[in-house]
Amino acid sequence: MSDFGDYLRKVREQRRAGDAKFSVRQLAKRVGVEPSYLSKVERGQQAPPSEKTIAALASELGEDPDVMLALAGKVSGELQAIIRRRPKLFADLIRQLKDLPDHAVLRLVREVRDGDW
Amino acid sequence: MIELERDALTFSFPEVHPQATLRIEFQRTLRIPDDDKTYPLPPGLGAFPMRHVDDQAANVPSQWLQRGGVMLPMYQSEAMWLNFITTTIQDRWQPYPFAIKVATGKQCAVSGEAWTDGLRRKPQNYLIAPKQPWLDGYVVEKGLIRQFVAMPLGAGYSAEEQITGKAEHGGLQLAVYPMKRDVFERRFPKLGRMELSRSEAFMETADMTLNFCMAAPDMGLAPGGRMRQEIFDDPYDLDDWNMDVGGRCFVHLCNSMVWQAITGAMPPHPAPTAKSYTDAGLPWFDYYDDSATAVEGAPVLSKLKSVNQMSSDKGDVALPENETVTPDNLVVFRKGLKRGQVREGVF
Repeated sequence: MSDFGDYLRKVREQRRAGDAKFSVRQLAKRVGVEPSYLSKVERGQQAPPSEKTIAALASELGEDPDVMLALAGKVSGELQAIIRRRPKLFADLIRQLKDLPDHAVLRLVREVRDGDW
Repeated sequence: MIELERDALTFSFPEVHPQATLRIEFQRTLRIPDDDKTYPLPPGLGAFPMRHVDDQAANVPSQWLQRGGVMLPMYQSEAMWLNFITTTIQDRWQPYPFAIKVATGKQCAVSGEAWTDGLRRKPQNYLIAPKQPWLDGYVVEKGLIRQFVAMPLGAGYSAEEQITGKAEHGGLQLAVYPMKRDVFERRFPKLGRMELSRSEAFMETADMTLNFCMAAPDMGLAPGGRMRQEIFDDPYDLDDWNMDVGGRCFVHLCNSMVWQAITGAMPPHPAPTAKSYTDAGLPWFDYYDDSATAVEGAPVLSKLKSVNQMSSDKGDVALPENETVTPDNLVVFRKGLKRGQVREGVF
């Protein structure tokens, strides 16, 4: 059992209830993996797949790729690159924001700078 | 605080009211003919792209960085209008009111006076949203404006140069002040569930010898053709506005010919001419608000020469394709109808 596998199976089965193309076999084919592998991932018998496959699964299922990557214990390559460019700044920022409520994080914005006219 | 979001400026004042938010878009439009006729309102052709000047720090004049703010591209003789978008406060069915100052080259587009901080009543040097949905130009007479048209700063056409004799600032300056919260809540008490009110749906090649490394890419706004547009009188008290929390922004107008060199992005395609637009049968607009009175025109602005008048004096051809047009397809917006009252159209 794994968070990622449980979540994947739950969402896929919800979709399958309304559309047969979300069977393990058909979904696996569309994202380019073997059905048996996808089934094992859902049951937690295999580690979560690669970032590319997770992004494809998220796209097929209409889910947020960052949320699915997080459930798999991963951070997207794009976010990693952003942090690597300014590691200290972003590490400090994320640590300072970690306990902030969602609404406070959402209010963090870039203001237009006013200068000397 | 002021944010740049999806090519518009969002002024928000959460310290006054959580939904006190005004969005200002800079709309591309066609240039109305600069002749003796008075025209209705031209269409919006989409928002100008905008950037923080700080993001282009390596490529913009140092003065732009000193003034801060944002930048947008305009072709020589291209026109623009300002779109003021307010947010309806749900339990009052009323957008939060704002007082808005608009200046070009630090000369007020409403009163014609030099930029000063704060609001003044006589003569009124601001607009009020949501009552004033749009501003298309300089207030030259009661109910008449001259369209905002971009010209290179230093060429002598801009309102700033005509009024002050100097090409010092260029660009467009904005300041926004929200209504005081207690005044808003007193003037617009909470309402029960009511029906929603009718929603208010609502190139020329620049000098190619310009060397952007050497010359400033600044554009200034100049008065163009005449247009019917009322600038509404403030129906509230001057003291109703919260002048302690205003936000202001300098909008630099960047010659479109150097926009790509500065930002790496293409400027929008030039707008169609008034003639080609009208010949295609596309709509022009009129707007009435019977519940409001209009401010008088500013004497200093009424004396400004339009781009066409000035280019004739200079012997230049600043406005090619300035043919007179007759807009046949006119869409009329009328504010102040009673709820449920059917709007009369043009037959």
